[in-house]
Amino acid sequence: MIKLEDKQMLSDQELSEKADLSGDTFLNELWYAIRKNKMAMAGGIVIILLILIALFASYISPYDPYHVDLDMQLQKPSAEHWLGTDEFGRDLLTRIMFGTRISLAIGLIPTILSLFIGTILGMVSGYYGKRTDFIIMRIADVVLAFPELLLAMVIMYTLGANILNIFIALSLVRWARVARVVRAQTMSIKEKEYVEASRAIGVKNWIIMFRHILPNCLSSLIVLFTLDIPNAILSEASLSFLGIGAQPPAASWGLMISRGKEYLFSAPWVAISPGIAILLIVLAFNYLGDGLRDALDPYMKQ
Amino acid sequence: MIKFIWKRILISIPVLLGVILITFIMLNVVPGDPIALMMREHIKPDVVARVRAQMHLDDPAYIRFFRYVWDAMHGDFGTSYKLMRPVSELLYKAFPNTLVLTLSAAFVAWIVGIPAGILSAVKKYSFIDNFFMGFALMGVSMPVFWAGLLMQYIFSLKLGWLPVSGFNGWKYVIMPAIVLGWSSAGIVARLTRSSLLEVMRNDYIRTARAKGLQEIFVLFGHALKNSLLPVVTVMAIQVATLLSGAVITESIFGVPGIGRITVSAIQSRDMPLLQGAVVFTTFLVIIGNIIADVLYSYLDPRIKYN
Amino acid sequence: MYKKHLLLVLAVIFAFSFIFTGCSNKAEEAGNQAANPDMMLKVALIVEPPTADVQLTTEEYGIPLNCFDRLVEAETIEPGKSDLVPGLAEKWDISADGLVYTFHLRKGVKFHNGEEFKADDVLYTFDRMLDPATKALNTDFLDMIAGAKDRMDGKADSVSGLKVIDDYTIEITLEKPFAPFLANIATPAGSIYNRKATTAAGTDFGLKPELTIGTGPFVFKSWTLNDQMLIVSNKDYFKGAPKLEGVIFKIVPDPETQRMQFETGELDVFDCDNARSQIPYFEGSEKWKAHIVSGPRVGLHYYCINESIKPLDDVRVRKALQMAIDRETLLEKLFYGKGIIANGIMPIGLVGHNPGLEKISYDPVKAKALLAEAGYPDGFSMVISQITDRPASLKMNEAIQSMLAEVGIKLEIQQMDSASWFATRLEGKLPSYYSDWSADFNDPDNFMYTFFYANNSVARSFNYNNQEVSDKLVSARAMTVPEERYKLYQELERQIVLEDAAWIPLFSLDHLFVVQPKVKNFQVSWNGWSNMPYKGITIEP
Repeated sequence: MIKLEDKQMLSDQELSEKADLSGDTFLNELWYAIRKNKMAMAGGIVIILLILIALFASYISPYDPYHVDLDMQLQKPSAEHWLGTDEFGRDLLTRIMFGTRISLAIGLIPTILSLFIGTILGMVSGYYGKRTDFIIMRIADVVLAFPELLLAMVIMYTLGANILNIFIALSLVRWARVARVVRAQTMSIKEKEYVEASRAIGVKNWIIMFRHILPNCLSSLIVLFTLDIPNAILSEASLSFLGIGAQPPAASWGLMISRGKEYLFSAPWVAISPGIAILLIVLAFNYLGDGLRDALDPYMKQ
Repeated sequence: MIKFIWKRILISIPVLLGVILITFIMLNVVPGDPIALMMREHIKPDVVARVRAQMHLDDPAYIRFFRYVWDAMHGDFGTSYKLMRPVSELLYKAFPNTLVLTLSAAFVAWIVGIPAGILSAVKKYSFIDNFFMGFALMGVSMPVFWAGLLMQYIFSLKLGWLPVSGFNGWKYVIMPAIVLGWSSAGIVARLTRSSLLEVMRNDYIRTARAKGLQEIFVLFGHALKNSLLPVVTVMAIQVATLLSGAVITESIFGVPGIGRITVSAIQSRDMPLLQGAVVFTTFLVIIGNIIADVLYSYLDPRIKYN
Repeated sequence: MYKKHLLLVLAVIFAFSFIFTGCSNKAEEAGNQAANPDMMLKVALIVEPPTADVQLTTEEYGIPLNCFDRLVEAETIEPGKSDLVPGLAEKWDISADGLVYTFHLRKGVKFHNGEEFKADDVLYTFDRMLDPATKALNTDFLDMIAGAKDRMDGKADSVSGLKVIDDYTIEITLEKPFAPFLANIATPAGSIYNRKATTAAGTDFGLKPELTIGTGPFVFKSWTLNDQMLIVSNKDYFKGAPKLEGVIFKIVPDPETQRMQFETGELDVFDCDNARSQIPYFEGSEKWKAHIVSGPRVGLHYYCINESIKPLDDVRVRKALQMAIDRETLLEKLFYGKGIIANGIMPIGLVGHNPGLEKISYDPVKAKALLAEAGYPDGFSMVISQITDRPASLKMNEAIQSMLAEVGIKLEIQQMDSASWFATRLEGKLPSYYSDWSADFNDPDNFMYTFFYANNSVARSFNYNNQEVSDKLVSARAMTVPEERYKLYQELERQIVLEDAAWIPLFSLDHLFVVQPKVKNFQVSWNGWSNMPYKGITIEP
């Protein structure tokens, strides 16, 4: 036990180092940061790899993803078919490679779209206030009241189940949260002196929004971006799994799992390998996102 | 406090109405004659025309909307096209199952997530920390339906310990609850860990330590109380995520709950049932959020809502 | 502190609600335990019926065929021939002008709730069908009764053509003579309900087994949604109690699962319609080949041609389509030869069937020539539409695709979900499609009028534009002399199929079932339907 009088001699830093028993030393922190960074880098590398696979799938895949060969149904993984075949005799490795296109596209495009829509609406809402703000925010409230997947399902029901509509559905579901965040930031930045000064000079509103407000929202936007991509990928997989997303014979991983579950007992690889692919891509994005968010942390605290 | 609760409820009513409106618009805009689907091969156009009139399907949209809201306020959500039973009856029967599943999943999330988070924070940077945090990240990254299939494969087909699907006793709840609760557990664990770490850096903790208190008491007496605050609120908000996830979990495990009703209503184009299920689910989420807000203000005396 | 309380409260709620559901499920299970499951026939249904109320559903008549009776019944008297026999009516008189039907009802027939069957029940049942409040889908089986239209339009609160003479006699007057009237009321849609029970049941009739009362050989005992339905034998059935203890209808949407359940003995009957590809297996299997029951079907498979889509509006193009299809090969390859080629609309086994109707020959050369004559020497593109996830339809459409390619027609197979498919067809806009139809009742009207009466032709996307034929189909309904009537139908059939080429007939398929060895007396019903009465079957374990 350290006597109280002795403590008064020690500085704050030394005190915390001595008293803190959770190992929060400089070395540990460094190691943690490097490892986190490594995982983030690994995630980044995986994503780049997947992008390459998506772009060059037609060249590097061993078979045609839609080629039906009923003599080769449900084959175990072998030298000819590294991951085996599905119930139509189609090579699974090929289909997973082509599925990368769908997953990446679904991860990126609706996220970017919803960020775009949400940012504009959020800025407009926060900047102009009053009635515009009221209307936009009420609509956002209603959209946010729905559980995400449920709203996506209803939109897919309305529009019809195919991949294009998934883009639309996912964009429509996510804009509201973005708008809320951007609005809050807009409102706080709007009050700052340099913004008021700009308005006093007579700078046009939209220039103010894009020059001053938008850059300050950037870090939040990046955070939202990194969080939404894996979410979008999982949502598409879920929708396709339920049969209300991508339709056969599309090579969507979620759809492949849904078709494969009938053969879970006799041919488990059909359902398991696409799932590993989903896990991989989502983990990669999550690690990358984690790393990015940590790197932005000091900026966020400003 | 009561006033605060009332105010929250009052604000939620227009939101709920907005939800009903949007759902109504989207589902009724879809072309397609439900009567044609009901009659299938035995289609007879004069019968179709007559039944449409009897079901008021050709009334102008706004009349149908108000009629729907009016009936809904009396508990009448229409009749399912496919099952021919009142929607409210079907939802009423299904709700307890979803409730059990959701609460079990929340239970799993708490039981697993909080201790995991605490241990990770206390043993920061250790193997335990990495293991739990990795586990948590897996939970958030893994597609729910795939995790479910994996568990069915291992525990039902290969080991035969647990039943594949259905809902007839406690054994049937285990796998769905774990599958559904896993990602929540992950979120809870990560949040607990970071929240606890945050709190532990505070001055008053250092003071407690400096006073010579043993670490355990520091933990449970001071740190935990305050670090769990954000966790509790996140848990309540998780209601929405759990309800969403329940849709898939129920489909895989054959749990006869609201989620499965929603999916089969979509697949059979059963508009009244789908409408009722969506409105009902959203209603539950809104209630969940109100409870979360109330909880939050109740537990943290620093927060004053007016 | 508060958090601990909260945890406790949540835990308690959780424990309670969960015990609750556990209990209620157990109770339902106990209720389903029947007397002796071994003497119960276990059959499978692909689609769960929405209700057992025949007035509200146009298909899925498994329960009604076994739990209700009709005034008149259709029964097989020899393979390929059926007749109308007395049901709840012992005998009937028809007036000379064909307008008044007097039914003399059986005495002493009891409903499952103990009430005696009386003429008033017939009045109630038929009136209920025509009552707008019921929103019935099968009104067309009774809408020829005098006063029916007014009742359906809400202009009258009773049907003038329904008159109770005394407790056991009812007189039904028609608007115009309608030759198939008796056959009409022999269909499941003519099932008779008990006034007292059905009124008391309200909207639960057909949904809650204990409230769904009929006179039939079986009593509707229980229904677990998405799982199974149970009917048990009616010991007091007026034609004699069935030997079976009951029938369990299991809902098994997947044909693979059905087959597996049949092989392991969980099902007693396997309907080969659900998995035609299994027929060679069963026929070749030592274990099963002696237990295959086959019966002809009064029905046929066909292709609909949508005449509003160019170039199908040209009769030469349609004739070319007819001639480009090799029906023999299709029957052999896709259906293992289990059927007979159909040449018209009225299939074999139907009264009025024309065995002398000329065959449409398979002649791709002539087809090509006709196409050239019509201005398409290099063929053209067309679309055939089907519902997604129907592998049997896909096989047929793909086979047709290659046959049509031989004559230069490029076929695109378009798949859509069932809701869109049926809705689009109703609008008359569905591209051509493959389908089948089997008789509801034994009369040409059930085929000819159903497809080629003008409104129906649009609602089924044929868009066959021949007003003269349509008018004749309407007047044929009222003809009273059978020979003249059938002759007219045969002329119209020749016109539609051979001259106007509005329809591509394929074949009539036999219906094959495989049964467990212990199942005896299994017979295919008169029209070859999957839904059938089970009262004659016995089980000898």
